[in-house]
Amino acid sequence: MSFWLLALGFAAQAAAFLPLLAAPVIGFFGKPMHGAFANVVLCFLVFLLTLAVFRHPGGGLIHADELGMMFGVLTSFVALSTSLTNIAFVRSEISRMSVRRWRVYHAMCQVMLGTTILGLYADNIGMLWVAVEGATISATLGVSLPRTATALEAGWKYFVLGGVGIALALFGTMLTYLAAQPVLGPGLQAMSFAALEAHAAHLDGALMTLAFVFLLFGYGTKSALVPLHGWLPDAYAEGPIPLTATLSGLMLNVALLALLRFRHLMQANFLALGGALPPGPFLETLGLASLLLVAFSLWRRRDARRFFGFSSIENSGIAVFAFGVGGTVAIFAGLLHMILHGLIKSALFQAFTRAAAMRGGAGPGQYGFSHLRGMMASNKYLAWLLVGCVFFLTGLPPSGLFATEFLIISQTVQRVPILSLPLGAGLLLCAIAIIRQVGPLGFAPPPKNTMPAKAGRLLGVVYLHLALVVTLAFAMPPLLFVALSNIATGLQ
Amino acid sequence: MIYPLAHLLGGLVLLCAFSLLSQRRLAAMISIYQLEALILSAAAAWQGYAQHELSLYLTAAITLVIKAGIAPIVLRRIVHNFNLIRAVETAMPVGVSMILGVGLIGVAVLVVLPTTINSVGLTREDLAISLSVVLLGLLVMTTRRNAVSQVIGFLSTENGLVLAAIGMPGMPFVAELSVALLVLLAFMVVGVFLLRIREHFDTLDLSGIEEIERRGR
Repeated sequence: MSFWLLALGFAAQAAAFLPLLAAPVIGFFGKPMHGAFANVVLCFLVFLLTLAVFRHPGGGLIHADELGMMFGVLTSFVALSTSLTNIAFVRSEISRMSVRRWRVYHAMCQVMLGTTILGLYADNIGMLWVAVEGATISATLGVSLPRTATALEAGWKYFVLGGVGIALALFGTMLTYLAAQPVLGPGLQAMSFAALEAHAAHLDGALMTLAFVFLLFGYGTKSALVPLHGWLPDAYAEGPIPLTATLSGLMLNVALLALLRFRHLMQANFLALGGALPPGPFLETLGLASLLLVAFSLWRRRDARRFFGFSSIENSGIAVFAFGVGGTVAIFAGLLHMILHGLIKSALFQAFTRAAAMRGGAGPGQYGFSHLRGMMASNKYLAWLLVGCVFFLTGLPPSGLFATEFLIISQTVQRVPILSLPLGAGLLLCAIAIIRQVGPLGFAPPPKNTMPAKAGRLLGVVYLHLALVVTLAFAMPPLLFVALSNIATGLQ
Repeated sequence: MIYPLAHLLGGLVLLCAFSLLSQRRLAAMISIYQLEALILSAAAAWQGYAQHELSLYLTAAITLVIKAGIAPIVLRRIVHNFNLIRAVETAMPVGVSMILGVGLIGVAVLVVLPTTINSVGLTREDLAISLSVVLLGLLVMTTRRNAVSQVIGFLSTENGLVLAAIGMPGMPFVAELSVALLVLLAFMVVGVFLLRIREHFDTLDLSGIEEIERRGR
C-alpha cells in the first residue's frame, strides 16, 4: 500500500516515463496482438496517473501546471480510446506488416504518448524541447513503416522539415536562456517556465524578441502553421493511421501550448516596457495565413486522411490566431477549441479507420472519399458516427466548436476589427468545404458489392468523444470552467 | 587569451560551414564536415578549460567521437556502398548560393549584435558566428537535392547549435546532452531511411519527391 502511495507522489514523472520505459519491451518482444493489448493496459495506467497528477503535480524539471494537467488528461483519454479501437485495426491489418514492424509500431505509439505527456508536464524549456524532438523521431519512424515509396517520401519530408523546426526551436530555447540568465542567474532556474513567468518583466526584451521569432518558427513547424505546414498532410496520409493521425495530432497541442507560454512571456515583458515587441501580430499573421490557405486547398482533396490533415492545420491556425488576439476570453476560447478539436478529430480518425476496414482494408491509400461513400449501406451506427464527427468539425451548432469560434470572432471584432472579415471568410469557406463531404459520405449510393458489416462494440468509446464535445461546450462543469478561466487569466 | 582563441575556433567552424556551400563532390563535403566537427570539439574543450566546466569537456568528447569519428565513417560507407555518383547536383549554381551565404552571415551579424548589447562580448560574437553556421547549414539543405548532402547540411546546422550552447555562460548540460542524442538518433533514422530509399529509388536523388504533389494529395 505504501508503495502505491509513494508511486502516486511521482505521478507526473511516472505518467511520462512509464510509456517510454515500456516502449523497448514492446519493441522487442511479443506478437502483434500482445502489443495491442499491452498498449491498452499501459494507456489505462497512464490515464489513471494523469488523474493522480491533479493531487501530486510533481516537482523540479517535471512539474505540471494546471494547463499541463488538463491537456494531460485529454491526451491520455484520447490515447486510451485509440488503443481500444487499435485492437480492431491490428486484427484487420495483421497480415500487411511483419511481426517486427508491428512491434516497432506499438513501441512508437508508447513513445509518442510518453513524449507528449512529457512535453505537457515539463517545467523546463530544455525538457520541453527534448520531448518534442523525441516525438518527431517516433513519428518519422511511424510514417515510414509501410515502406512504400510514398511513405518513405512522406517520412523523409517530415524528417527534414521537422529537423529544421527542432533546430530553430533549440536556438530559440538557448536565446531564451541567455535573456533570462542575467536576472535568474546561470543554471536550471533560468530555464524553468515558472521562474521565467515570475520574472517576465525583467527579461532582456530585445533578446526575447529574437528568441520568440526562432521559437515561433520552430514550434510553428511542429504545430503545422502555414509556411511550415508541408509535412502534415503527407504524414497524416501515410503510415498506420492510429499512430500517425490520431496520436500525433495530440503532439500539435504540445507545440501550440509552448507557443502560448512563450507568447505570455513576451506579452508580460512588452506590457512592463521590458523592450520586447508585442507577440500578437506574429501569431495573428501565421494563424490567419494557415486558415486562409486551408480554406482554399480543402476543396480539391480526394483522400480523407489528407483532407482532415488540412483541417488540423486550420484548427492549429484558429488556436494560434486566438492566442494572438489575446485577452482572457480569446485565450479561453483558443484553449477550449484545442480540447474540443482534439476530441472530435481523434474520434473522426478512429471512425474512418473502421470504415476503411469495412471497405477492404485500413492501410494508407484506402481512404479516398469515392471509396468510402455511402457508409449507411455498410453499417448505420458507424455511418452516423462519421456523419456526426464531420458535421461537428464544421463548427455548426450543436458542435462545441461553434461556441469557441463564436467567442474568437466576437473578441476579434472587439480587439482587432480589421482582421474579423478575413477570419470570418476563412471559417465560412472551411465549413462549406467540410460540410460538402457529409452527404456523400453517409447517404450516397455505395460502391458496388458493398456488404453490411458489424461495427464492433468498442465503437461506443468513440461516441463518448462526441458526447463530451457537446457537454464541454454547452454544459461545462463549473469546476472545469473556473479552472480554464483561471488559466486563461494567468496567461493573457 | 580566452577571447582570441575562442573566436579563432568559432571563425574556423564558420569557414568550414561556408566552404560546404562551394563543394560539388560528396566526398569533399564529408571531409569538410569532419574538419568542422573536429574544430568544434576543440572549441568545446577550450571553453571547458576557460569556464572550468567538466560538462563542456564531455561535450567535446562526444563531438569528437560521434561527429568527427563515427558519422563521417558511416556517411563515407553509404557513399561507397551505394556507388553514388560523386558529383553533387545543386539546385542552384554554386556562385549564387555562396552569395546567398554571405548575405545570411550579414543578416546573422546584423540581427544578433544590436539585440545583445547587454551581454558579455564573448557571448555576443559567439552567438553571431553560431547563428551564421545554423543558417548556412539550412542553406545547404535547401540548395541540394541529394539526400546525403542534405543530411550533411543538417549536421552542420547541429554544429552551429552546439557552438551556440558551449558559448552560453553556465548553460545546464541538458542542451548539450540532447544535441548529442539528437545526432545519434538522427543517424539511426537517416541510416534506415537511406537504406530504404535506396531500395525504392535507384538513386538518392530526391527530386522524385514531387511524386506526392502530382498525385493530387
